[in-house]
Amino acid sequence: MNPVFNLEAATLSPVALFLQADWVVKLVMAGLLLASIWTWAIILSFSARIRRTRREMARFERDFWKTDDIEAFHRAQSDSDLPSAQVFNAGVEEWRRSTAANQIDREGVRERLGTAMGVAVALEVEQLSDRLNILATVGSVAPFVGLFGTVWGIMRSFTGIAAAQNSSLAVVAPGIAEALFATAIGLFAAIPAVIAYNRFSHGVNKVEAGLNRFADGFHTTLSRQLDGAR
Amino acid sequence: MQRGEKLALGVAVAGHVVLFGLLSVGFLATPNPLKLAPQPIQVSLADDIAIEQTSPNPAAEAAPSVAPEQGPPEDAASPEPTPVEAEPEPAPEPKPAPPAPPQPAPRPQKPAPASSPVPQPRPLPKPQPPAAKPAPAKPAPAKPAPAKPAAAAPAKPAQTSRGTGRDAQATAARPRGSRLGDDFLKGLSDRQTPSRAEAAPAAKMGAQAAADIGSAILRQVQPCANRQVTPGPGAERIRVAINLRLNRDGSLASRPRVVGHTGVDDENRRYVDRVDDLAIATFVGCSPLRGLPDELYDVQNGWSNFTLRYKLPG
Repeated sequence: MNPVFNLEAATLSPVALFLQADWVVKLVMAGLLLASIWTWAIILSFSARIRRTRREMARFERDFWKTDDIEAFHRAQSDSDLPSAQVFNAGVEEWRRSTAANQIDREGVRERLGTAMGVAVALEVEQLSDRLNILATVGSVAPFVGLFGTVWGIMRSFTGIAAAQNSSLAVVAPGIAEALFATAIGLFAAIPAVIAYNRFSHGVNKVEAGLNRFADGFHTTLSRQLDGAR
Repeated sequence: MQRGEKLALGVAVAGHVVLFGLLSVGFLATPNPLKLAPQPIQVSLADDIAIEQTSPNPAAEAAPSVAPEQGPPEDAASPEPTPVEAEPEPAPEPKPAPPAPPQPAPRPQKPAPASSPVPQPRPLPKPQPPAAKPAPAKPAPAKPAPAKPAAAAPAKPAQTSRGTGRDAQATAARPRGSRLGDDFLKGLSDRQTPSRAEAAPAAKMGAQAAADIGSAILRQVQPCANRQVTPGPGAERIRVAINLRLNRDGSLASRPRVVGHTGVDDENRRYVDRVDDLAIATFVGCSPLRGLPDELYDVQNGWSNFTLRYKLPG
């Protein structure tokens, strides 16, 4: 380890700080940078996706409650991957399967309809919130990883002091600056991740509530239909 | 990974590259990273108290007062009529009279006590001095040296080159303290005594004392200096030679004058006038300077007319 720090290169430039750092700190910085990139990729894609989903769900429900012919509506929506459409398809398919037989157990059919649509809702929510756990992990772990890099870098700086027999600020400062840079990157990655996680959790909850509402409404409709059957 | 996620990943990578690229080229960087480099600072070592007179050996003054009081050597001294020669002669004489030395020995620091040995080494003659009462009375108050400058200062600020008030007293006391009259030395009149005393107070302020006074003055104006705002980058490198005319009480006799500059370069050239004004304002603002040694006021290179170098803090 070279205890002599180059003062001329001791700037706040991230590249310079990265290049001066110890390899452990470099590893930490690189990992945190990747985490930050991945976090932002998730944030961008997820926010676009959930906004589109909620807009299309609202339109789907509006169309659904306006339509008179459910069979025709089902045919039109059969290849949609919208969560509401999936729940709707699950309900319609279960309805067809249950009413195909001659004898209809109305209570059993109602229960099966509810279960089928509940399963569809759970599946859609699960798919939707697939990436959120990454945000949660980055948000909670990145500060600690950055702190680890900082502690390691400061330990190295103190070793440098001992080796140089000199505790002047000029000897200590560059090492500490590059060590603190690790914590800075950790926070840089963690803060957007935590904010996005909370915000997207809220968005997913709202989507789930909307799906449940739709499923209950559809279930009510089917149940009413069931009363008139046969 | 869905198509939307790939697109978002690309956007995120591009955003990070742009952000760190901006940081790397100095966007948001510290304006002057050179501040990290240690710059040499000027350190002036100054004694806190040691403002003392660099004066000739004070023993030369004490000697003649003892000389006339000893009978036999006086005869040896008398043949020499020249007053100048009288000085070296008496010098050896105090040695034969050892009772005195213990006292003058600690004194030589102060030129003032020159007169005090007169009454003290002679317990015997004391019965006689009562005849001339004013004489013993005077050396007594003279001993608390600090009191004297205050009294002497207003009286004769200009006379000091000829001899301080103390020395005048000393000349007066000498004949009275001895058993002999004024004419104990033939051909040696009162006229010459003041001229002889010229040697002692012709003190010249030495380099050490000048440095001490300079740093004492700078210490006192430091509060005012700290209030000054540096007009621009590099202005703190300008060193101003400033001339102070001081009264004996430490106040300014006239406005300080700037007599020269060093450290002026292309960067700070335009601040020179401003730095001059700031330097003058500093000394005017903290002007009654205190604690400067009075005995070095009027001597050669004394602080009545003192030039020192000043630079803005920072």
